[in-house]
Amino acid sequence: MIHDSLIRERLVTGDKTAADVTRDIARPILNQPTKSWKIGFTLSLIFLGIFGISLFNTIWTGIGVWNINKTVMWGWDITNFVFWVGIGHAGTLISAVLLLFRQKWRMSINRSAEAMTIFAVVCAAMFPVFHMGRVWVGYWALPLPNAFGSLWVNFNSPLLWDVFAISTYFSVSLLFWYIGLIPDIATIRDKVKTKTAKFWYGFFSMGWTGSTRTWARYELISLILAGLSTPLVLSVHTIVSTDFATSIVPGWHTTIFPPYFVAGAIFSGFGMVATLLVVARKVMNYENYITIGHLEAMTKIIMVTGSIVGIAYLTEFFIAWYSGVEYEQYAFINRATGPYWWAYWSMMSCNLLAPQVFWFKWARTTPWFIFIMSIVVNVGMWFERFVIIVTSLHRDYLPSSWVMYSGSLTEIGLFLGTFGIFFTCFFLFAKYMPVINMAEIKSILRNRE
Amino acid sequence: MGILDKKLSLRNRSKMLVGIWEDEDKLVEATSALVHDGVHIHDIYTPYPVHGLERIIGARRSRLARVAFFCGLTGFILMTTMIWYMYVLDWPVNVGNKPVRFTPSWIPVMFEGTVLCTAYGMGFFFFWRNRLLLGVKNDLLDDRQTDDRMVIAIECVEGMNESDVLNTMKSNGAVELRELINGVQTTI
Repeated sequence: MIHDSLIRERLVTGDKTAADVTRDIARPILNQPTKSWKIGFTLSLIFLGIFGISLFNTIWTGIGVWNINKTVMWGWDITNFVFWVGIGHAGTLISAVLLLFRQKWRMSINRSAEAMTIFAVVCAAMFPVFHMGRVWVGYWALPLPNAFGSLWVNFNSPLLWDVFAISTYFSVSLLFWYIGLIPDIATIRDKVKTKTAKFWYGFFSMGWTGSTRTWARYELISLILAGLSTPLVLSVHTIVSTDFATSIVPGWHTTIFPPYFVAGAIFSGFGMVATLLVVARKVMNYENYITIGHLEAMTKIIMVTGSIVGIAYLTEFFIAWYSGVEYEQYAFINRATGPYWWAYWSMMSCNLLAPQVFWFKWARTTPWFIFIMSIVVNVGMWFERFVIIVTSLHRDYLPSSWVMYSGSLTEIGLFLGTFGIFFTCFFLFAKYMPVINMAEIKSILRNRE
Repeated sequence: MGILDKKLSLRNRSKMLVGIWEDEDKLVEATSALVHDGVHIHDIYTPYPVHGLERIIGARRSRLARVAFFCGLTGFILMTTMIWYMYVLDWPVNVGNKPVRFTPSWIPVMFEGTVLCTAYGMGFFFFWRNRLLLGVKNDLLDDRQTDDRMVIAIECVEGMNESDVLNTMKSNGAVELRELINGVQTTI
């Protein structure tokens, strides 16, 4: 039996009606861009320019402009790849897992989280693609007919699994996102005034009318896609972790990597969602839709996943000692006390210690503080990947090949530039598409149980 | 192929009765009352999913889940065959003397392929079944049916008492009643 909830707090505040929801959420689309949007978009374009220059330098001169060498053959590039792919994984996971668990608070954040997934995976893909050096033969990674050479691809290699996993993940996330967008695109279609806007929103709304039968199928396909996406996300980040774990490099050769990477992905993804939404709710006046309750729920997940990641750090250290393998032991001692100690302790403080402040309600309910913490989480998760990759590689079995590594200006430019790609896409998305799922929000206005 | 079939368009129906609601509960009550009176409801259009309506109007349960299963099975068979052909039949590669036939290392690619085929097969079926296609013209009865209004559309058939139907809709909270004749709507 359906009735009004007497206990649960309202997920949307301000006594909104369905018409209010359309008006509020469609406002940025129906009106001229605001000053803050213009400033943000210009900044993103500047960073996009930095990406363009760095990429041009990489292609024109060759990847010798990166500081990677024969010992540290993966540096900022793969650090950035795992950083972005981790952020990307959280989006669909947030949407899919919370849908399976019937968490209605997801409805305010799922659209941005899914968009974040798409843009973050695009950013992530840049790094392995250009690390190949000869980008124009990148299609050799696909299982193509033998005419291109005498061998097929190696199905034993986690790098090949990555090709399949990330392309599948991107494609399925895109479908999931687009199907969810159709009803809202139709709403915008019926609100816009100009002929061009009417044409394009009409084109992408696919003739949506909101028929009851279509809604029933829509809900079913969303549920099945969520059911598919959940193991998909787990598989993809597990596969990313096996890029490291199946090797024999001390510090990488460990079975804890898959769950540790997955928890880290959710952690960093929620960090990025919090960064985006704390700003969006203020700038776009969405405080009634993304409430303090939503922020609090996200911070609780950040705290739990941060703690899981922290336990993984400590377990790695313990197992290195307990295994009795001196190479493993050295790898971890070197991480904490070697030349990259600052990176290790930045990682520990940002990921394990900092999120513990969310035990306090004040920290969970103060937007500016959550924003700062979300940046701390993002910084910490970048350092995690840097620590895993660089500290394990820079001192291997042969002391004669030990080296130090730091990113070159081009590598730094590429990393900063991907923020340009990410935020340019996000600003365009926020201008032309509803950032919050209007149709789903309308269905929870009454706070039913 | 029903997607582009103009006969299915609401504008080409000879006569329809259209009721507009602003309250979800009243819409559900009205639907139940109409179905109870034996009226065949053509469709109901809402800006968000109203749970239970499809059961009241007797819509058939979707077969999407079954389609998903068969698409997944197809993907699984395709990927297994592909790997087997490339890795066992055409050019077996000796990697550290590891076995080449059906090893656990095949699982990730088989899994990803299965998921991809399931998602896109089901997506294609969803679009086809709902007549959703990029660029298709929408068939709206009310400009606000994707915003805050809910619409019940009833096709007039021989023997139907139209005034009874209109009265039932009015007494169950319809804020506006219209009739649609050959694509032209008039308020009653």
